[in-house]
Amino acid sequence: MKNTFAFLFFSIFLTLFVIGCEEVSKIDTTNDTGKQVLALDYRDFDEAAGKMIQSLISSGRLAKKDGSRYVVSTGRVTNDTMQRIDTDQLTAKIEQDLMNSGQVVMTSAVGGKESNRDETIYSMRETRDSSKGEEFKQETLPQKGEIISPELSLSGKIYQRNLRYDKDKQQVEYYFQLKLTDIKTGLRFWQEEVLIGKRGSNKTVAW
Amino acid sequence: MKKYFLLLFFVASAVFLNSCGEYKDNRVNLDTGVKSDNLANNALTRPVYGAFSLLIGEGIDLKDVKVFRNDADFMEVQVTGYNRAIYTKRFDYKIDWLDKNGVAVDSKASVWQRVSAKSRTTFSFKAVAPTKDVVDFRINTRKTPE
Repeated sequence: MKNTFAFLFFSIFLTLFVIGCEEVSKIDTTNDTGKQVLALDYRDFDEAAGKMIQSLISSGRLAKKDGSRYVVSTGRVTNDTMQRIDTDQLTAKIEQDLMNSGQVVMTSAVGGKESNRDETIYSMRETRDSSKGEEFKQETLPQKGEIISPELSLSGKIYQRNLRYDKDKQQVEYYFQLKLTDIKTGLRFWQEEVLIGKRGSNKTVAW
Repeated sequence: MKKYFLLLFFVASAVFLNSCGEYKDNRVNLDTGVKSDNLANNALTRPVYGAFSLLIGEGIDLKDVKVFRNDADFMEVQVTGYNRAIYTKRFDYKIDWLDKNGVAVDSKASVWQRVSAKSRTTFSFKAVAPTKDVVDFRINTRKTPE
């Protein structure tokens, strides 16, 4: 009885000790020299977004002749990979730099994804038309015909191809494709593809 | 041993003479196996040359940095270099953009980007500033982590 109790006590102590020793470290996301993984990680999104931003700004397609800014909406960016990816990981970075470039204003009135739209825009209009609207100072309420329509739409997809490289290794290719379309004419202003390829053990699963 | 050195000397001389008087244009790079052998890529002399190259730590030479403003008035930078090593060099670069006060301008594009420079070839990479306010830049490099 005494031995069983001692063994139980020792087991609990050992478990707590091991849990306490598990090391957690923060990633240095600015200068990460950590090992590559077969799946997509934040470094891949940084690399792809960086290349996309560079390509779009240097293309000169966003420079309006009269110096004003384009209104851009983010359309649908499809995730055609085997991984659960939120495509905002790519588009949010691009949107941010495009806005900071001073050439573009993004719209939250329309968009291909819920996260690109702001529900408040429409709920305030519903409030305006309801009895609750009388509670607001009327000139501060949004009026009809004030929402600016987007001129350009950013859309695209991310897709994945898995190939057998040799007996022990597999090759995974990730294609990031984006295009910028003039909504009024349907003409495409710009497009870019960034390929990120990885090779790794067959035992690793790329999703 | 003496015979071996004599043979190496003859091969080196023959290879050296073989590559004499070639027409050269820096814009066209002929790779090993395409062009005639020289001391660096001959099957016999290459290991010696490679060992020497590694020993003295040959790497990337900076050749030229071009800075210009594009039609939209954004600064663009093109860096040209030459890989002196007999192996492909992979490295990362990161650009920090600076405004007129020398303050870094934040950009999601200021991340480590990869460059692969083939042995004994000229390479270049280009980057565009994130805003019109940028007047200067800083480029850092690092060996690509495996």
